[in-house]
Amino acid sequence: MATNTAVDVVMPQMGVSVSEGTITKWSKNVGDTIEADETLLEISTDKVDTEVPSPASGVVSEILVQEGETVEVGTVLARIGGEPAAAAPTAPPEPATQPAAEATAAAATEGRAAPPEPEPEPVAKPAEPVAPGNGKAFVSPVVARIAAEHGIDPSQVSGTGTGGRVTKKDIQGFIESGAQAPQAPAPEPPSQPAPVQAPPPAPAPAAAPAPPAAKPAAAPIPATVGSAQAGESLEPMSAMRRGIAEHMRRSLDTSAHVTSAIEVDMTRVVQIREKLKKEYQAAYGVNPTYLAFIARATVETLRDYPWVNGELRGDQIVTRNYVNLGFAVELADGKGLIVPNLKNAETLNLLGMAKGIADVARRARDKQLTPDDVAGGSFTITNPGGYGTFHGTPVISQPQAGILGTYAIVKRPWVITDENGADAIAIRSMMNLTLTYDHRLVDGAYAGRFLRDLRERLQGWGETDY
Amino acid sequence: MAIARVAEPSGSLQEVREWGLDREDLLQIYRNMLITRGVEERGHILYRQGKIPGSFYTGRGNEASSVGVAMAMGADDVGTPLHRDMGVHITRGVEPWRIFAQYMGRADGPTHGRDGNVHMADSRLGLLAMVSHLPAMLPVAVGCALAFRIREEQRVAVAWYGEGASARGDTHEGMNFAGVRRLPVVFICDNNQWAYSTPTHLEYAVEHLADRANAYGFDGVVVDGTDVLAVYREAKRAIDKARGGGGPTLIECQTLRMEGHAVHDDAFYVPKELFERWAERDPIERFRTWLRSNADLSDDEEEQIGAYVKKLLNDALQKAEESPQPDPATLLDGVYATPEDLDTPHHK
Amino acid sequence: MSEKTYLQAISDGLRTEMRRDNRVFVLGEDVGVYGGAFKVTLGFQEEFGSWRVIDTPLSETAIVAGATGAAMMGLRPVAEMQFADFVSCAWDHLVTVAAKQRWRAGTPVPIVLRLPSGGGFSGGPFHSQNPESSFAHIPGLKCVCPATPEDAKGLMISAIEDPNPVLFFEHKHLYRRIKGEVPDERYTTPIGKARIHAEGDDVTVITWGAMVYTAEEAAKMVDASVEIVDLRTVMPWDKQAVLDSVRKTSKVLVLHEDTRTGGFGGEIAATIAEEAFEDLDAPVKRVTAPDSPVPFSPVLEKAFIPQPDGVAKALKELISY
Repeated sequence: MATNTAVDVVMPQMGVSVSEGTITKWSKNVGDTIEADETLLEISTDKVDTEVPSPASGVVSEILVQEGETVEVGTVLARIGGEPAAAAPTAPPEPATQPAAEATAAAATEGRAAPPEPEPEPVAKPAEPVAPGNGKAFVSPVVARIAAEHGIDPSQVSGTGTGGRVTKKDIQGFIESGAQAPQAPAPEPPSQPAPVQAPPPAPAPAAAPAPPAAKPAAAPIPATVGSAQAGESLEPMSAMRRGIAEHMRRSLDTSAHVTSAIEVDMTRVVQIREKLKKEYQAAYGVNPTYLAFIARATVETLRDYPWVNGELRGDQIVTRNYVNLGFAVELADGKGLIVPNLKNAETLNLLGMAKGIADVARRARDKQLTPDDVAGGSFTITNPGGYGTFHGTPVISQPQAGILGTYAIVKRPWVITDENGADAIAIRSMMNLTLTYDHRLVDGAYAGRFLRDLRERLQGWGETDY
Repeated sequence: MAIARVAEPSGSLQEVREWGLDREDLLQIYRNMLITRGVEERGHILYRQGKIPGSFYTGRGNEASSVGVAMAMGADDVGTPLHRDMGVHITRGVEPWRIFAQYMGRADGPTHGRDGNVHMADSRLGLLAMVSHLPAMLPVAVGCALAFRIREEQRVAVAWYGEGASARGDTHEGMNFAGVRRLPVVFICDNNQWAYSTPTHLEYAVEHLADRANAYGFDGVVVDGTDVLAVYREAKRAIDKARGGGGPTLIECQTLRMEGHAVHDDAFYVPKELFERWAERDPIERFRTWLRSNADLSDDEEEQIGAYVKKLLNDALQKAEESPQPDPATLLDGVYATPEDLDTPHHK
Repeated sequence: MSEKTYLQAISDGLRTEMRRDNRVFVLGEDVGVYGGAFKVTLGFQEEFGSWRVIDTPLSETAIVAGATGAAMMGLRPVAEMQFADFVSCAWDHLVTVAAKQRWRAGTPVPIVLRLPSGGGFSGGPFHSQNPESSFAHIPGLKCVCPATPEDAKGLMISAIEDPNPVLFFEHKHLYRRIKGEVPDERYTTPIGKARIHAEGDDVTVITWGAMVYTAEEAAKMVDASVEIVDLRTVMPWDKQAVLDSVRKTSKVLVLHEDTRTGGFGGEIAATIAEEAFEDLDAPVKRVTAPDSPVPFSPVLEKAFIPQPDGVAKALKELISY
């Protein structure tokens, strides 16, 4: 049934906790005829992916949100019927789709600091880290001073610096122009009443400002989801990022994260690795990385500390006679992290470990992992030390009980005691290891002993240990 | 095989008179040697009393050498004496109380507390303050001589160094330049046989350091540094020669450092017999004996001189102790010179 | 007024003072008969004689220590290091004696040490260095680094007049490339006063020596009004001129040919941070040589010495910040 008055197609709420959805595909273009209940578009939310049936029959008169964009529940996505559209929208961008497996498997990552001890009071959730290039929030010293001198809120000033930062010239211009109401940076001066070009941010300023306007009565509305403020740019969250975000949040809400660190003298491992490197490269084409040594020692140590390799499942404590050792792997584009695991890592010697790690890392980067690769991990190693970091507090990959962080190996002066008990300062290759563990299951002393034993294993690595 | 001339010992009063010293000069030399030793002995006491910060160096055994050379210098001559050469400062007229003030880092020391121990000099008396980097002042003295030569003045620069510093390139570069340009400079090597703990055979391989003068195209002389009159004679000859355009001379004064490198050093590495042997040649005792047998030094005169020196030093010590501490607010003063600073006898 | 090269201007300043004041003399390797390795003192020995234009042995110690001694005796030596790099051989006499003698013993040491410095001609690691920051760090020494012929002459005369040891860094790459009008009469250029090489409003480049011209080239490559502050002297340096320019533009690039770590640009940047923090609209940037010795190969040397395009890139980053 055709209609003369336009019917809005809105973003549906797919579950009580869902506040937004991403358009993955339009099935019709503007001008196409559609029957009621016929699929008009497909959407993806953090709960489900689904098709959206048309609420009415008629001609698709407007498409207001393009593929790949994420909007709030209730946002008008399209209109059916009514006046025909003046022009067809431009071709939508490529949809950003990710295999669902990656999203759900994406887990361990360097994230926010866990408190050193479980604290009774909840830790305030920090704001999302400011994305690089979003300079709106940064106020340079001179801008801060000028703003203070003139009683101006710098956020009222449109920024032309990197990422929309308010520059000295911007604030000076603002003052010289009589402290006008801020405008979104636009190529043209906002002299005529602007037609609505996009879904208006809610709640929008009530009236278009009449230039030249007096100081605005109130500070501008802070950015709300789905609308870009001056100097900001928006991009849809990928399914993988969404998965990571959800997992990180859930992990922190689930486990009582505590991190312990230990310093390990890696000098012996460095020496032995130097020797093995050529042999392994020549004979097997594989690099015996430090990670392989650490993984090998970790698996051995986990045998003695089953709870670190365990899980809390309801009221039950799960322990295992195997180690499925996960490795946090950054994807090639730097836009995500995935944690494949080596099944039955306890059966692997150093060579097997090195090969296994190289294999899963390569397949992760080439997007060739199977769902099985990322499922069923029992313990995880994350290795942010490649960038020189010496400490961190990783987030546990649920439902595991711990995650080991490995950090940069650096030469440091170190007090060593020789066999006669004499102390000396030596140059040693030192590395920090952290164990972040679920304090619900693993006690601090238990974790400390695990780290100590792991350290002793690495420090005492024998020429013939494989 | 020695190349340098070995100077003969000092002779009779008649001979000494021929070199230009009258009896009063001789008594002045004796007084200066006593003051020199007295200043350093008192300084050592002050050091052990905790009144002198840092370290403390003495030149015991070098009194004849330093006083003898300084006596031979003319009023307009300049020198760069080192830490064993207190006798040069005393002979040139530096007041002992200023030296004690210097030792104690007080405002009235020649460096006003900015530098310590013998790192001092009164430029009005023709002395340039030493630095620790031995013998960095040796080529600087050559530069003084260069100025005299450019201006065609009848002045001489005296550059001191030790047998230890003879191993440094500065010694070579300074002497070479002086030799090439036949500059009016006299090099005095205080060869006290020990560079801290290092004996001469580990410092140089020639028989005498004065032999090296030959390599720079000037004369070298070896003299007994405990014989003040012999030192005086050789210094006078060399200075007169330089003043007359005859170029540099290197005089090696042989002594023994009778104490450690500094007062914290007990010189365990110096054979005891060596100390005993050289103690018999103590420069002051030696000169006193000479004065008694050649210049009729009487008991009364000796007593008078002794009392004079004692009072001089007691008064000096008291005055120095009254000298104020330097004012920290003045720390930056004079890091850079002002044009007015150039209004000195030298910079005119 | 007459047009002179940078080298001729140095020569002119030196000759002016030698004619005016017979205490002034020059010493160095090959400065007499040969006229100096770069011919700055060409013809001087004929005019002033061999005791005022002294050919020394190959001995930086004797040259600098000799100058120090002569200065303390009242002369005004102008000593030449054949290359600035060789001053390392005379470190003690400059740093241990000359720099400290006034403060310590009350004896000023008015010497000028001429230091042909800088690279750009495949001089390699030992004929190309810009060691001004090493000496700016030594209390008691002054360091001047003229960029123009006019300043070269005026600063030479000021350096000779100055009662302190003054290191005169003359940039070899400017010797014959840079020409300019130079007053014929005697004049002084004050030590410690910067010169605004180019006025601008958007961004400031603080530099000295040959990099003034690199900054000039770079400024042409950006669409902004660039102020170029030529420090002229690195010790003392004109803090006020720097802070004034910072307050004007709020964006600062410090540019020097010396290597980065411990280079004098760090001191300038730190001072700006301390004294003009609230005037900054962007982080202070440095463009310098990397922390390596000066390379020989033209390709490597070009990668070492800051080039206009690199400076322009840094300027663009500051402008758009």
